[in-house]
Amino acid sequence: MSNRILLVEDDVALGQQVIDSLREAGFEPHWVQDGDDARSLRPDDYRLIVLDLMLPGTYGMDLLKRYRAKSEVPVLILSARDDTADKIRGLQLGADDYVTKPFFPEELLARIQACLRRPNLSGNERLVVGAIVIDLERREVTASGNALSLTPVELEILTALARRKGAAVTRDALVEAALDPAQDSSRRTLDVHISRLRTKLGEDAKQLETVWGIGYRLSEGS
Amino acid sequence: MKLRTRLALTLGIATVAVLFALGWAQSRWHSRMRVDALAEAAVHRMESGGRSRCEANPESWPPARGRRNARRGSPSARGPFPKPRFFAYDANYRSRNPASPPFPPALRRELDAGNDVASTRSAAHERAEVAVRMPWDEGPCAVVLLRAKGPPPWFSGAMLIPPLLIALVVIVVALFAAGPIVRRVRQLTESVRRLGAGSDERIHVEGSDEIAELGAAFEQSRQTIQAQLASLRAREVALRNYIANTTHDVMLPLSVLQGHLVSLQQRIEAGETLDAKAIVPSIEESQYLGSLLHNLNAAARLEATEGLAHYDTIDLNRLVERVVDRQKPVATRKQIALEVGVPDALVEVQGDLTLLEQALGNLVQNAVRYNRSGGHVAVVLSGRTGGWTLEVIDDGPGIPDKDRARVLEPSVRGSEARTRHPHGMGLGLHIVNDVAKRHRLRLELRETDGGGLTVVLSPGRDT
Repeated sequence: MSNRILLVEDDVALGQQVIDSLREAGFEPHWVQDGDDARSLRPDDYRLIVLDLMLPGTYGMDLLKRYRAKSEVPVLILSARDDTADKIRGLQLGADDYVTKPFFPEELLARIQACLRRPNLSGNERLVVGAIVIDLERREVTASGNALSLTPVELEILTALARRKGAAVTRDALVEAALDPAQDSSRRTLDVHISRLRTKLGEDAKQLETVWGIGYRLSEGS
Repeated sequence: MKLRTRLALTLGIATVAVLFALGWAQSRWHSRMRVDALAEAAVHRMESGGRSRCEANPESWPPARGRRNARRGSPSARGPFPKPRFFAYDANYRSRNPASPPFPPALRRELDAGNDVASTRSAAHERAEVAVRMPWDEGPCAVVLLRAKGPPPWFSGAMLIPPLLIALVVIVVALFAAGPIVRRVRQLTESVRRLGAGSDERIHVEGSDEIAELGAAFEQSRQTIQAQLASLRAREVALRNYIANTTHDVMLPLSVLQGHLVSLQQRIEAGETLDAKAIVPSIEESQYLGSLLHNLNAAARLEATEGLAHYDTIDLNRLVERVVDRQKPVATRKQIALEVGVPDALVEVQGDLTLLEQALGNLVQNAVRYNRSGGHVAVVLSGRTGGWTLEVIDDGPGIPDKDRARVLEPSVRGSEARTRHPHGMGLGLHIVNDVAKRHRLRLELRETDGGGLTVVLSPGRDT
């Protein structure tokens, strides 16, 4: 899929900063500085749109309405005003998220990536996270091509982590997904199951990280 | 024209007009009564022997003005008027008496039209003529004509004197009677003028009439206007204070930031090789500056309103992630592991998006800002809509017990809350407390296992 990102921002210094950081992050940014120019663009030509609200020509909210009428492309609002009404209106009109100014470029990239990484909560037959592949239909798991023999609880834990690839998953969520939340011992046994899972993952166990204060995360690995 | 003069003149003119109308009506009534009395007298006289005398000597009837008969007539015929003169005619309006005048054609037309009595008056109102058809048709005395002095005219120059005198009296009385009213109106006018000139004096008019009601209405308006003015003045003062405080609060981190930048410049000029960490304080300070402005904005909004100005459904999962993403750049530079955990299920909360985001941002920012390098911060949202818990856990220096309780005291406003405190206990945490209270969220501060601060937000705070 194309990595093109449309930036609609009239401020030259800020726009250039955003363009540079998008390019560094591997995206192909397309920068438009005027609301009227942005009207004629096809939203589906982009993977995501970063939209400022206070624009010369067409107002950002009107552009958002226009884009939403034609497309489901993720739209992230850049809001200079710390105004609740504007944010709520933007979200109600179909924006996926907003970032208020001032912001660090990393924050904007993190929000863009969060928008692009929509959690896939169900329906996939195969989940792939780095070297780990889970076949949900056959209930089979491979790590670096090697088939693993997992217990039903371990499989559920790994699946719950894989569904939120790259995100920290709380202990409570894992207990709820794979164990009996009513039993007090479940929280303690979770660590035991994770330990066994790590042993079975072998070299790929580094993908299964402990997250301080939260729980665990299954990352893509290096 | 002054109120009192207008009132007196109006009453005087009205009095004259009413008196004239009454005089005219009375004159009309007298005239009618006079005709009826004459007709009755004629019939009475003819029936009580007049007919036989008339028919016996029609050529000489009535004899010499009929004074005796008239005196015996009906009482009404005697009235204030002189005795009438009688003339007899047959059914064809002819008289045998040569002294009788020709029958007036106007009266004849009226009798021919079927009336039993007809009357006419001269234009000068000096003489009245009344024709009466007798109950019999035959003979020389079937119709009797009476001539009498007419009723006085309803208007004459002399009549003007009493109404004018009365009107004069009315005007004088009105002038005196209007005095207190005019005085009260003047008093009210003076009060309103003083109000316009900026006086705080209460408007009061004694009594319970319309003027007193008008005074009360003015007083009510005065109070409303003064309340609005007071509110405007208070807002103006608040705005001035806000600008002054904001300028002061922003100048401080700005000065620190400038200091960092100048120091960097000097180190570079001195040929020193700087690593990435050297820039971290500047970045932190610039971020603090941004969050300070947001906090001041939130504080101004909290001070300006009771409760919440906005009440929307908020996606808490997204909000938590957004807040953490905002703090990640600083955490990364400080080498602090900042992690977030949200449930798969959507957790929704009702409230003001900006205020909640600001409050949560303050918690996460404090956890990062006051943590040591290599420390950890975890933001964990768990549960579901209506039964969720949000924890901001850090392994930093924490807050001593005695200070922890103080943070949860009712909102501290003013200069104390604005001061930058060592553990982020200044404006930021007070905003968190205030926002939590307005959203009916329970806010708990406790020590993290192994050291540090854990802040827990959950629904269900007692108000």
